[in-house]
Amino acid sequence: MNKITNLLIVFLFISACREGENIEPSFYTCEFNFPDSSLTHPEHQQYQNLLDEIVSNGVVGISMSVFKPQDGMWIGAGGMADLHNAVSMQPCNISRVGSTVKMYTAVTVLKLQEEGKLNLDDKIADYLDGDVIDKIENADEATIRQLLQHSSGIYNYIQNLVFQTASTNDLIREWKPEDLLQYAYHKSAYFPPGDDVAYSNTNYIMLGMLIEKIEGKPFYDVFEEKLFSPLGLTLTQFAAEDPVPDGIVRGYIDLYSNLQVLESTYFSGWDYYTADGGLISNPYDMNRFFLELMRGHIINANSLNEMLIWITPKEQDAEFFPIQYGLGIFRIETPQGIAYMHSGDAIGYYANMLYFPDDSTTIVYAVNSNYGKIDQFVSTQAAMENILEAVK
Amino acid sequence: MKVILKTMLATLLAIVTPAFLWSQTKPIPINVSLFNESTAIPFTRFITTPVHPGIQVGTEFDYNRKSHTRLFQTANISYFYHNYLAQGIGIHTELGYECRASMGLALTGLFGLGYMHTFATTEEFRHHNGQYEKKSDKGNARLIPSLSFDVGYYLRCADTYSPKIYLRYEAWAEYPYSPDFIPVLTHINLHAGVKFFLSKKSISHE
Repeated sequence: MNKITNLLIVFLFISACREGENIEPSFYTCEFNFPDSSLTHPEHQQYQNLLDEIVSNGVVGISMSVFKPQDGMWIGAGGMADLHNAVSMQPCNISRVGSTVKMYTAVTVLKLQEEGKLNLDDKIADYLDGDVIDKIENADEATIRQLLQHSSGIYNYIQNLVFQTASTNDLIREWKPEDLLQYAYHKSAYFPPGDDVAYSNTNYIMLGMLIEKIEGKPFYDVFEEKLFSPLGLTLTQFAAEDPVPDGIVRGYIDLYSNLQVLESTYFSGWDYYTADGGLISNPYDMNRFFLELMRGHIINANSLNEMLIWITPKEQDAEFFPIQYGLGIFRIETPQGIAYMHSGDAIGYYANMLYFPDDSTTIVYAVNSNYGKIDQFVSTQAAMENILEAVK
Repeated sequence: MKVILKTMLATLLAIVTPAFLWSQTKPIPINVSLFNESTAIPFTRFITTPVHPGIQVGTEFDYNRKSHTRLFQTANISYFYHNYLAQGIGIHTELGYECRASMGLALTGLFGLGYMHTFATTEEFRHHNGQYEKKSDKGNARLIPSLSFDVGYYLRCADTYSPKIYLRYEAWAEYPYSPDFIPVLTHINLHAGVKFFLSKKSISHE
């Protein structure tokens, strides 16, 4: 009897720990379609040292692009794309870039306004089904502009603890927009529309639904048609098309805040099918998108001006740079100057894109690990200051 | 791993032995339940999917028994497997209060405290000397307070030593979970269990 019990226990523990997937290094093969002169860039060594430092601190892998008008584009990487198979990170590798997609969503909505298909000051209730609108406080009054600017006051479903534990309970569940909106149903709004700003993913789920309603197709197909294809963003795609596409680097989480990471590549998060996250890209494509946007090559000058009308929150986050909210974009005051930015988290991934209007410098970086102690090296104010000090 | 299992077994024995000694003259109650574990805010969910299976085995002894009520202590060992998140093996004890109606129906409330050791269900890598390396998982220590309610049915209404079947809703938390990130993670377990008695006669047959 004792032997059987011991065997059962040993079997349970051996069988219960899932080993990493064996993947050939060729799976991660990628290339750029432009002449890369990063190795001869005047600040190559300084940038590379920064990435190496970040990796040595505990980030699994990082890729970065820096554009300065006088020096051109630099791209680089450090650390690992895949720990189990010991594959190094390359600058062209793709990863999840989370909420940075909100800038793409906002730009798409602004393009629809340019095409005369909507007006930013229309109420969202004029477009979406009453069934959704009736259950979300403020949704009947909020305008498209207020959703874009997070000034709708609408409750952020991610803040709902019931949602947080439910998503942990089923880490590979693929959530549909309606599933997620349920966690914002009948929740008190933060303030009346237009009174303040408060970041809410719910706004951008509704904006994705708006795009689909107007265009009659999935919003990510609209992204492809209006943004990815025209700009030649060949390494950019949306998760709904293929949640774990070939070449995507493995993601890792420091779940227990002890720099002992677990693989999370197949953890769906909750944004495969909603316009508040779910983008897959790399720092080169993101840098090009941001540059083209700021140069006025994606939306016209009027739209760009509307995008960059800022609202200051009544209460600032004491642990971050002074911030203002635009349409799918933020304005922060860093020691290196004013920057426009948007960052994004997914489970096991983080990305940040910054543009400095004073000299048109654009910095984008993406990492394949987050949470716990790792965040202090990539996403906090101190982490960003460290990066900007070395790069800007 | 062996050390952990031996330690937990020794602790369980330390809890169970008094009950066992006490019950030498009486049949020994054994509780066995299969349960579905889930991360959830307690009392917001009842049935959850996907199923994360678990098993619990334990015993109990009475502090005070009256005709329709009793105050008792449990001692349990349990195991659960939560796909992609963790597996845990734990020991815990509960103070329970049961009200038993004459037709066999019983309602019980239990407050518990215990220790759980959790292990990752996926490969783990440790940061060491500036890079990550594969590590053997020594697991994580947790305190696990719990609050449970169950509804049960005694198959032989008038018999003190009747087998009982029960459905138990257990809300529990693991602490510390992730310092400065997720301090506490809450769970619910939905148990389907049976209590039966090992009588002196059946013991002597073993």
